Amino acid sequence: MPSYSNNYVLYSLTHRWALGLEHWRFGKDDKREEMGFLKLNHLLYRYNGEDSQGNIYLHGGIGALKERSLYQAGIEGDWESRVLYTSLKHLEFHGGGLDRSMTQARLGISPKIAGYKELQTWFMVQGMVIRGVEDTLMITPMLRFFYHNVLWEVGSSTRGDWMLNLMVHY
Amino acid sequence: MKKYLMVMMMLTAGGVMASDIEIKVNGMVCSMCAQGIEKKFSSEESVQKIDVNLDHKMVHLQTKNGQNIPDSTIKKLITEAGYQVVSIKRE
Repeated sequence: MPSYSNNYVLYSLTHRWALGLEHWRFGKDDKREEMGFLKLNHLLYRYNGEDSQGNIYLHGGIGALKERSLYQAGIEGDWESRVLYTSLKHLEFHGGGLDRSMTQARLGISPKIAGYKELQTWFMVQGMVIRGVEDTLMITPMLRFFYHNVLWEVGSSTRGDWMLNLMVHY
Repeated sequence: MKKYLMVMMMLTAGGVMASDIEIKVNGMVCSMCAQGIEKKFSSEESVQKIDVNLDHKMVHLQTKNGQNIPDSTIKKLITEAGYQVVSIKRE
């Protein structure tokens, strides 16, 4: 079992605001910490270039961990073209005796530019630290695929933990 | 008077035909961006057909016969989807 998992359902109220529910699990077996959040994401700034797009998002959420209340707050930035992708994300989780943070960086390259409604493939690498859970850098090479409204990523960390991400846009 | 008649004739002619509109959009870098724009226009009553070309960053709209969609509505829908209109050309 990987040392964390993250599931969420978000509804975009506008292109700037999204509201939803999120579940995080840090750690595994008897050391696992499971928490649920009511989540609000805000697109603070978007740069629309001719061949690229950049975004700055704010993350916020209130939740519960074993009947104790907690909150999360964070910031995320990304920049992508049709061949390059970079992102940096930092989240803080506090309250109810919990004191964690998660920092994630990603870099991706797409070897072939796909048209609309064609499969697009990305070679990516993710670096991640979860303070108090995985304090040393977890490196995860992965493949990302885009097809129509579905994005999925599969990878395995250098320690052998598998990773699967699935995102469907409706 | 002649001028007014000409203008009226042009408006009338424009009102009965379908029109093709080419919109150049900045920020469209993936199929999800394209889908978001397509979805915005698909709920627009006057629009018959939408084609998104990611390579040329163009959105092509074809309106229904006798209907039109003003530039202001096009700009509003694309901005609401999170992208930027660079130009609108009508044929």
